[in-house]
Parts: sequence; C-alpha cells; structure tokens
Amino acid sequence: MVTTNRGQPALFEPSPPYALEVNDINVCYGTSRAVLDLNLKVPEHTIVALIGPSGCGKSTLLRSMNRMNDFVTAAKVTGEVLFRGSNIYGKDADPVLLRRQIGMVFQKPNPFPTSIRKNITWGPSINGYQGNYDELIESSLRRAALWDEVAGKLGESGLALSGGQQQRLCIARAIAMDPDVILMDEPCSALDPGSTLKIENLLLELKERFTIVIVTHNMQQARRVSDYTAFMYQGELIEFGPTDGVFETPKQDLTRDYVSGRFG
Amino acid sequence: MSNTHGMTPINSAIFGGSLRIQGEKKALTYQARATWQPRHRWRAFSSKLFKISTFLATLLAIAALIYLLHSIAGQGLERLSWDFITSFPSRFAAKAGIKAALWGSAYLTLLTAAIAVPIGVGAAVYLEEFAADSKLRRFVDINIANLAGVPSIVYGMLGLMLFVRLCNFGRSLIAGAATMSLLILPIIIVSAREALKTVPMGIRHAAFGLGATKWQTIRAHVLPAALPGILSGIILSLSRAVGETAPLLMIGALSYMAFLPESLQDAFTVLPIQIFNWSTRPQDEFHVAAAAGIIVLLALLLTVNALAILLRMRYQRKAQW
Repeated sequence: MVTTNRGQPALFEPSPPYALEVNDINVCYGTSRAVLDLNLKVPEHTIVALIGPSGCGKSTLLRSMNRMNDFVTAAKVTGEVLFRGSNIYGKDADPVLLRRQIGMVFQKPNPFPTSIRKNITWGPSINGYQGNYDELIESSLRRAALWDEVAGKLGESGLALSGGQQQRLCIARAIAMDPDVILMDEPCSALDPGSTLKIENLLLELKERFTIVIVTHNMQQARRVSDYTAFMYQGELIEFGPTDGVFETPKQDLTRDYVSGRFG
Repeated sequence: MSNTHGMTPINSAIFGGSLRIQGEKKALTYQARATWQPRHRWRAFSSKLFKISTFLATLLAIAALIYLLHSIAGQGLERLSWDFITSFPSRFAAKAGIKAALWGSAYLTLLTAAIAVPIGVGAAVYLEEFAADSKLRRFVDINIANLAGVPSIVYGMLGLMLFVRLCNFGRSLIAGAATMSLLILPIIIVSAREALKTVPMGIRHAAFGLGATKWQTIRAHVLPAALPGILSGIILSLSRAVGETAPLLMIGALSYMAFLPESLQDAFTVLPIQIFNWSTRPQDEFHVAAAAGIIVLLALLLTVNALAILLRMRYQRKAQW
C-alpha cells in the first residue's frame, strides 16, 4: 500500500447553481473502502470529467450519484448527495424517481434486444410520457447524431447496429427521458476512434441542455470535452478544478505525475 | 516510505522498488540446462487410449438404449393400433386399450403444469431478482437443489398425507396433480433460475437507469430474455412428470379404469401405471399390451423433449448479445 503525504487536496469551488453536490461521500465494499470522504460540486450545464488510475473509485463515485450502487449487494454508502436541494440518500428519497432525472450511459453499449424504436420509447412510456412518440424518437436520435443512420430502419433490432451506433442509441435512450443529468461511465472505452470522435462532439452539444458527468481513462478525452476535471487516487479526490488548470498547472504533485503520464 | 532520493512521494512509491528488483535478478543467474524426458510416444498412446475408452462408454450407453427400443418394438409394435389407443382396458388382453391411461396422463400433465409453472417461475424470480443475499436465502438455495434429488416415492408419501388425507382430496386427479407439482417444482425453480442468471446484468442496469421499477424491468426485459430457458426447463420437468409412477401408486391412482375422469375429484390412471399393471399379469398377451403401451409413452416423451429442443433453438437464434 502506498502511503504518501499528500497534504490537503486542491479543491475548487465552482460557482452555483449546482446540478449535484457530493458531501462527504464514503463508499465501502465489505471492508474495503472505494471512495473516502469525497466532496465535489457539479455545476449545471457543464461537463465534469472524473479521471484517475484503474481502481481509484471514479466509477463507484459516478454510480453513487444516481444510486446504481444499490444493486451492488456489498456496497454501503454514507454521506449525502444533494440533487435539487434534497439528499438522494435521504429517508424519503425514491431511487426510481431519481434515476428518471439522472440518466446513465454505461461502459459497454447495452441496448435492449428489441427494435430501435422501442429502445427509445420504453423509458418514456413506463414513466407516463404524454407527448408524441414519433417526434420524441426523431429528436432523441437527432440529438444523439444517429438519426441519419437509422431513420429508415427504426423497426430493426438495436443489436444489429455497430458498437459505436449502439452506444449512441444508448445515449439517445437516455436523452429521450429528458433528464437533468447524464452520467457516463467510460462511454467510449469499447469504441473505435471514429465513433469516439462522434460521441465527443455530441457531448459538447448536449451540455446546452443537460449536465454531464463522465468517467474516462482517456486523458486527452477529458481535456477535449470537459469544463472541470476531478482527479481521484485510491478513493480520494486529489484535485478538482477547471480542466485547463488541472492539466497545465496542477497544484498537486500526484496530479502532475498522472496527467503527464508518469503512472496510471 | 522515506523520501530521501529527492523524488516526489508518488515516484518513490511507484519506482522505489527498482533497486530490490535488480538485487533479485543477480540471484537468478541461469544454471546449466536440465535433462528432459518428453516420453512422447507414451503420451500419444495414452491419449489415444483415453479416446477409445470414452468412445466405449458412449457406445455402451447407446447400446443399452437401442437394445431396449429393439426388444420393446419387436414385442409391441404389431399390437399397436387405433383400437388400442381408443379402447378402455379390459380383462380380455386382446380387447384391452389405453384410452383411460392416455387421457389421464394428458389431464394430469396439464393440471400439474397449471399448478407448478406459476409457483415455480414465481419462486425463481423472487430468489434470483428480489431476495437479498442473506443466510436464509443461501439455506433455501441449497435445500431447493436437495429437494430435486429426493426420491419420488417420498413425494408420494407426502402427497398421500397432505393432499389425499389432510386436504381430503381423496384418490383424485387433483391430489395426483398437486403431488406431481411438488415433485417437479424444484426442477422448474432451478432451471428457471439458471435461465434468469444468463440474462446480462447490463440489460437490468439499462432499465433501472431509465427510472424503471424492479417489476417493470423484470416483466419487460428479464423474463422475455429468459423465456426460452424457462420454457425448456418447464417442458423437461413435465416430461419427467409424464413418466413418473411411484408417487401416483402411493397416493392410489387406479390401475383399472373403464371411464374417463370428468372432474378434478374423479379417480384417474396414467400410462406408466397401466403399463406396470399389465406387466405384472401372468398372461403373455398382457405383456404384449404393456410393450405397446411403452411405445406410446416413449413416443410421447420423445415428442415433448423434441419440442423443448426446438423452442430453445428458435429463441436462441433470436436473442443474442
């Protein structure tokens, strides 16, 4: 185990309003602690990138933001995450309603094994969407930059698409719910450079309407798309600030070593 | 860790071990080459030997089946006719048929399915999707697997006590179906759980991520994806129920029935019992009838199993991840 004297984490307080406020979050898997006393403020309509070496807890932190950790039997979360001013771990918080507002895109594209159309409409239909479904399908797919490729074959299986198209379908599926926040867990790690570029361009457009938190292994990607970057190491937040600052003038030695590629 | 080399903390943490690694390298200088004995011919021969012995094992298993089918067919095939299937049993061997037994088997199987399928699939969904990983659940897990191995005669005794006597169903079709349901429930639960386990977690997470409740997720995505596996488990367990004799003898199914059951409370018989009854008679003509009955029963079972395989193949092609 590495024990280093890191000093105080270099934290930065962006200006409000915040989409999410993480206050003193701890996540344990059994006896091992994956996230330690972490504080983070996610401003609205920005892209926040979570970076750090494998196993540093960034995906765990992301999943604690819409209570997807509920499905990991051994995971135990303490602390609070404020969304719209109330704690999502509070007594009367309903994770089902929460996830309807905070969508998620996963590492591996996971479209439902049904038609492209049903992939988009299922979420809204179970949540009581009253609008026009054809419009919803088109606008979601257009915003996910997928419409031109699938317009004529909405009845075909989502699994018949390529990996990059499947991931954009998953993004369209999340957009169709019109959430406040979209959490993305290494959405490009299984994709080729062309598809990655398409999704990165897409993110820049999406932040007009949504707040995005993205976990990425790819530091160039964090640099290209994000407004703020949080660097995590062994469950702790080491540095958080505007992306340019974190990459060009990091305040912590650990951050500098990581972003310059000396370990990871 | 000390920080004496002018390195940053992370440097000394990550690269600090290099000196020690060099030290170990010195100790690992190569020695002279060892002698090797590949014994290649012996290894090749033993591999061939193993292949032949596994082939023999397969042959033996198939040979027994072929011998059974051959002797049964030789005995019973000429006795098989439309009359044989549509006549009630008789004390004259030449006139005896399997009408009551065939219909009894059909009724019993359908009724068993109606009881066991909803309960079995429901229990599987609860254990796999809802139940928290507790000591109690692990205890239930182990015991359901154990129940699948309990001898069928024991289920017969249970059925006799519980349904025939305690519930006062008498020696009826409903008592038989309830007993058979107990017998195949563990099989349905275990196979349905296996089918649910094969549904990728990603599908569930995708649905939860869209604000779906557990039941919405299970109904719209998990159950449809697991359906082929669940169906083939159901069909195979029902084919087991079609062939079972001991528990029904125990609860007192009739061996001679000259009428069809008309309600759930009526007495009944099934094919295996009819066959058993005929084969215990002294007259050779009844043995021939038993052989013909076995042909019908085997044909029925093979059809049901083929149906299970077809269903599995059909849906497997459809659902791919």
